[in-house]
Amino acid sequence: MSDEVILSLKNISKTFPGVQALNKISFDLRKGEIHCICGENGAGKSTLIKIISGAYQPDPGGNIEFEGNPVNLTHPSVAMKLGIQTIYQEHTIFPHLSITENIFVGMEITKNGMMRKVEMKKKTAEVLEYLRSDLKPDQLVDELSSGEQKIVEIAKALVLERKVIIMDEPTSSFSANEIDNLLEIIKKIRERGIGIIYISHHLEEVFRIADRITVLRDGLHVITCNAKDVDEPQLIRYMVGRDASAFYHRDFYPLGETVLKVENLSGNGVHDISFEVRRGEILGFAGMVGSGRSELMTLLFGGAEKTGGKIYIMGKEVNLKSPINAIKNKMCYITEDRQYTGLFLIHTIARNTIIANMAKTRKFLVNPSKEIKTGNTFIERLGTKARDSRMLAMNLSGGNQQKVVLAKWFNTEGEIYIFDEPTRGIDVGAKQEIYQIMMNLLKEGKAIIMVSSDMPEMVSMSDRVMVMKAGRIAGELKREEVSEENILELSIGGKKI
Amino acid sequence: MKESPVQQDKKRVSLFGRGENSTVVMMLIFFFIAIILIQLITSAVSGKVVYPSFISPVNLLNIIMQVAAVGIMAMGMTVVMVGGGIDLSVGMLTSFVTIFIAKSIMHWGIPLWGALILVVIIAVVLEMIMGYIISRFSVEPFIITLGGMIAFRGIALIICNSQEISTQGALAVLKTNLIEGAKGPSGLNLTFPIYVVVFIVITVAIWWLMKYTKYGRRVYAVGANRNAAYLAGIGVQNVVMSTYALNGFLVAIAAIMLLARVNTAIITVGQNLEIDVIAATVVGGVAMSGGKGNIWGTFVGAILLGSIANAMNILRLQSEWQFVAKGVIIIVAVTAGAIVQARQARAQFMRQIK
Repeated sequence: MSDEVILSLKNISKTFPGVQALNKISFDLRKGEIHCICGENGAGKSTLIKIISGAYQPDPGGNIEFEGNPVNLTHPSVAMKLGIQTIYQEHTIFPHLSITENIFVGMEITKNGMMRKVEMKKKTAEVLEYLRSDLKPDQLVDELSSGEQKIVEIAKALVLERKVIIMDEPTSSFSANEIDNLLEIIKKIRERGIGIIYISHHLEEVFRIADRITVLRDGLHVITCNAKDVDEPQLIRYMVGRDASAFYHRDFYPLGETVLKVENLSGNGVHDISFEVRRGEILGFAGMVGSGRSELMTLLFGGAEKTGGKIYIMGKEVNLKSPINAIKNKMCYITEDRQYTGLFLIHTIARNTIIANMAKTRKFLVNPSKEIKTGNTFIERLGTKARDSRMLAMNLSGGNQQKVVLAKWFNTEGEIYIFDEPTRGIDVGAKQEIYQIMMNLLKEGKAIIMVSSDMPEMVSMSDRVMVMKAGRIAGELKREEVSEENILELSIGGKKI
Repeated sequence: MKESPVQQDKKRVSLFGRGENSTVVMMLIFFFIAIILIQLITSAVSGKVVYPSFISPVNLLNIIMQVAAVGIMAMGMTVVMVGGGIDLSVGMLTSFVTIFIAKSIMHWGIPLWGALILVVIIAVVLEMIMGYIISRFSVEPFIITLGGMIAFRGIALIICNSQEISTQGALAVLKTNLIEGAKGPSGLNLTFPIYVVVFIVITVAIWWLMKYTKYGRRVYAVGANRNAAYLAGIGVQNVVMSTYALNGFLVAIAAIMLLARVNTAIITVGQNLEIDVIAATVVGGVAMSGGKGNIWGTFVGAILLGSIANAMNILRLQSEWQFVAKGVIIIVAVTAGAIVQARQARAQFMRQIK
């Protein structure tokens, strides 16, 4: 590693409506180093790499220099021309083309308008050999595993002689072997003087390859240090640590009987999940994005096929083949994405309120004026800011929309509530109201399962926390063990249970 | 139940559902006023003001008679489109139904009622097959029904050997005039055939189905947001399939009414009919994206488009102009609807933050 800086960012901020995703971040990348960026969900890692790759424009005020020259990354193509290659989590590959064709797509070597196939193939073969890969230039990408496809993307960056490679969670869905192989390759290409930005939720990987580490928290730069100067617990401490004011002080209620019990549940990308929830309790599900929390909730609610395990509700085994069964068994599912899976935006509050309860009634007819009354009752009960229940859901703010979703489920008189990211995209005041509503549910003896990437929310609201990692339960934290450090340690640390 | 303190403004609750249909109703009124004025002015210019023939009882009944078949089909299209689909095959399905009936009773010796029942079942099954494919394999309804349209055309042509078949008045009973002997102010005979009654009954029935039944609610929900509908415990696939099945039933009924009127089964009977049907539906305020619109809007839309051809006739304008007029009205209606809606949304939003 030389000390020559290839890319440097100074005072970079990025504001989205209502959110400061990055706040005066400075970051630099040297030639031939592997620079890892760490942080919790929502710390600003993705926003930062999107700015470097030209996908987002930073707020005015900061500046970016590439090889010592100020640059304006107005578009991904600008970044690419400079030599910045981003390898995204999801594949940006053409499955029906060969490896060579994938590498040169859009950058074909031509002479008089004709493609120089032989030359392209030769270059591809050279790079693949350098990477000590068994892949052949003519192989169709379709036939490769996801690990091999990543290697193709790296080969592409090498063939095109990129100077900076950004990798966002490259190893998700990889086998252990593939991870080893990829990490070796990354270390190898460092020798070519390429600067590598590496983002991973797995601290174990980070410590295996990182030269330097930058930690972000809530859009702020916490520290940049040499990897050999820190250890895992210390790194986790950098990633957590907030004011007490960020936490919500909740009341606790006596716990009642177990209402939901899950034994060795598998399917929809999660494996061997066991837990139980009691009345008056919030069971939190923590983990990094992609650890399978939402997938588990969808599976629980009958939205995906179960491949094994058992679910008991109020002590009786149930077979939840579809959401209809789940609703009939008194389950409610407040999804992560209100607009996509929760609300009927172009319909009135009244219609949104009554829709889920229809699965439980046998009545053939509906009564529009009674629906409006029901809608109004819930507007009043939840304190929704709306003129009346004939207002369209699309005209409400985020917090009020969430209350409409809650009204939809409260109207079914369920007993088990799944809250997936209950306060995402909701302002602070409305957040407190949602928490209060959840407290009221507990007081009434309902059970709550909560998925959240918001650490303070997870720590302050949960009675117990199940931490998930790679589709499995990585560990369970009792009330007195619930803390940011412990959650992070289980969800990104190398430690096995 | 406890009286809600939220204020309810009663004055806007009407048959036409909260001003949702205001655009199309206004356009119909404007169109009528415009034609009446033209007639009054032209007659005044020629010296003597006469009662405009456009709004004579005879002509108004005429409009309804001309609209009946397209209107019934538009009811089915409304249900399909509210559910988030579209059906391009209705025109050719109409041709197929008329040809099948004529062939059955004229050449295959099937009794009339048998033929009618059979053809209704066939139409429902054909639509259900398309609905099944659309709902289970999540393919674009536009493409599947386009395929259906072409296939139905072929089947119809094979059955009739590409020839026309006269029914020799076999369905005349549907044309029975219910107000036989009644005369308009000008002394002309008024006709109010049974198929107009069928049109009105079907309109009321589908309106009731969509507004007052759980089924109707589900169709709206599926059209507005499939994912949310699924998680709210709605069998999305079956609901989608059922909208096509219902549409098949209504298309068969409409085709029978049409055959009663024209007495001849020929492939051109249904040609381009899907255009008129979709036009009536969208002019009536049904959104292509699903989940929005209502039956009365479609009813008014069908009447509006039907009166255009009629008015052109009465004003003795070249009939080709009707296409221009229809096209402009579709564009204006849908654009105006979008503008009005954007305004309402903004007004609602402003009220909320105040």
